[in-house]
Amino acid sequence: MNYRYIWKEIRHHRHRTLVNVLGIAVGIALFVSINAVSAAYQNAISLPFKNIGADIVVQRAEKRSLDAVQPPASMRGIRLPFSNQILSSQDMENLKTISGIDTMATSLLLWEFDQGGFKTIMGVDLTAPSLGPIKVKDWLAQGRFPEKTGEAVLEKHFAKFHQIKLGDTYRISGQSFTVVGLLEIKEGSQVASANIYLALADAQSLLVGSTRDINIAYLHMKDPAQIDKIKTEIAKILPGVTITSSDSFLELMGGMSQISGQFSLVVSLVALAGAIFLIIKTMIGNLVERSREIGILKAMGWTNSDVQKQLIGETFLQSIMGGFAGIVAGYLIAYLLGYLSIPIATPWELNLTPAFAKMAETSAKTIHLPVSFSAVLTAAALALSFFAGGLASYFMGRRMSKMKPADILRKL
Amino acid sequence: MNNADILMGTNLSKRFDNLEVVKDVSLTVKEGEFVSLVGKSGCGKTTLLSLLSGLEKPTKGKVILNNKDITGASEDELALFRRDHVGFIFQSFNLIPTLSAWENVALPLFPIKMTGEQRSRRAHDLLNQMEMGHRIEHLPGALSGGEKQRVAIARALINNPKIVFADEPTGNLDSVTGEAIMAILNELHKKKGMTMLMVTHAEELAASADRVIRMKDGEVIA
Ligand SMILES: Nc1ncnc2c1ncn2[C@@H]1O[C@H](COP(=O)(O)OP(=O)(O)OP(=O)(O)O)[C@@H](O)[C@H]1O
Ligand SMILES: [Mg+2]
Repeated sequence: MNYRYIWKEIRHHRHRTLVNVLGIAVGIALFVSINAVSAAYQNAISLPFKNIGADIVVQRAEKRSLDAVQPPASMRGIRLPFSNQILSSQDMENLKTISGIDTMATSLLLWEFDQGGFKTIMGVDLTAPSLGPIKVKDWLAQGRFPEKTGEAVLEKHFAKFHQIKLGDTYRISGQSFTVVGLLEIKEGSQVASANIYLALADAQSLLVGSTRDINIAYLHMKDPAQIDKIKTEIAKILPGVTITSSDSFLELMGGMSQISGQFSLVVSLVALAGAIFLIIKTMIGNLVERSREIGILKAMGWTNSDVQKQLIGETFLQSIMGGFAGIVAGYLIAYLLGYLSIPIATPWELNLTPAFAKMAETSAKTIHLPVSFSAVLTAAALALSFFAGGLASYFMGRRMSKMKPADILRKL
Repeated sequence: MNNADILMGTNLSKRFDNLEVVKDVSLTVKEGEFVSLVGKSGCGKTTLLSLLSGLEKPTKGKVILNNKDITGASEDELALFRRDHVGFIFQSFNLIPTLSAWENVALPLFPIKMTGEQRSRRAHDLLNQMEMGHRIEHLPGALSGGEKQRVAIARALINNPKIVFADEPTGNLDSVTGEAIMAILNELHKKKGMTMLMVTHAEELAASADRVIRMKDGEVIA
């Protein structure tokens, strides 16, 4: 193969090369960006659950189960959220009989209403270090997480709004707590976002008449593929509880999120196939323009396979350039889209703030698309640009073999 | 067949659709001979040349070139045969526009396994012989007609051919430049003993050949 000649052809016919390279680049960029964004959506939807390390969350909603649009007049003080009534110790015993559950953690979520509004209080089980709302300790901005009773961590913005600093004493319903840390709720963590985090025992002592009550159970599976099976089992054993998993987000969200991985793969492959088809057409058009050149080569004693090697060299060089450009552009587009915030609709039961509180933290509800580099996707894109080059070479070769050397004798 | 016969066409015919362009032509060229083929435009000279040089297959008849019957050869076999034994010079030069002068000369060697330096040296030597040493890196677009034809002659010689086929080599050149090119070809024949078959419709050019073959309406008349 003569690299000099290949390179000269590519360089000399800049316009031709640019069209071919761009064509392949557009196809590959579409392929990469569609798949990267689709993967990011799938990822975004699983984020709320991933952030608390849980596969399934179990809650028991109030019997009449209607989220009041107006706060009832009698709602002063500490109370249980509508969607989070007590899970009895019998409930918990029943849960433990289900096989396939790896670890389990619990929490007690409380609302406190006063004349100033409301706050959400999360009693965290400090004994299960990697499951449930305790995971928010990764996002401490200052100080540390409670280690014993009498200590509290406040959400940063909430603390700022109430002018509370680290080390201050904070009173909830007559009890005093030392503020040992401030934290910032990260994107996609509405499942664990509260204003105040306490040791579970402290939260229990705030709720009048409660000793060891909890109202949310977080389950981590041994095998994530078993989630659906275990959800049905829980529904059978604990009638009336609400059971949520990542899928619950998927059901709520329309648009891109409903586009499955396979579907976006098909769409992007169709787009790519269209681009490849157009490129092959232009390349064959170029080849016909070059029929005199091909004739010269053949007259000079180049065999069909000699000419074919030259065409393969030129085509692959352009495909590879197009492939690389397309991969770069595709990720660029995907990452740019990642700067956009997409709203994540939260299932009602998992929205820990009262539904009538419109000021619910927005940062927890919108999320930047977590676009990430995928080696598999990149390799697939490269393979596809090679495939495009191979296909184009094949069709060009068929066309080229029909060109006769004698024709050049009559062309001026 | 005489040993000295390097090219022999026997009863050659070529038909395009209904048109018989070459009609039952037989001719022989001896080693070291310079033969010119003359006739009016459209009488079938180029077609006959393409049959004799293995660029095209005859409808009837056979061609023996350098002791090999090339009549039944495949397209690729013919290509390899041309590569090893035949040189071409065309009226319209037929240089590759993206390649420099020396690369055009080396073009027939590209598919052959040899070092780039060997190819380059050989191309440079031939260009120097054609007094083109100062135009080695130029693209064809930057060369005059006469210079292009010198490059083309160098290319025709790069494989040490047994025979050179030239189709109106001066047809695109003014008379002064044409004479210079003819002088090069005559010298190749006289000094190097090159066998040549040259197509032309100009009697005065044909006259410098050892032998003139005349064609009319697809037939050899003398
Ligand atoms: N591929 C082809 N298909 C059909 N007809 C052809 C083809 N090639 C040549 N011809 C015809 O054959 C005849 C002879 O053509 P050829 O090129 O051999 O003539 P020529 O003697 O070389 O003429 P000139 O001096 O003008 O170059 C012409 O009438 C031409 O139109
Ligand atoms: Mg002619």
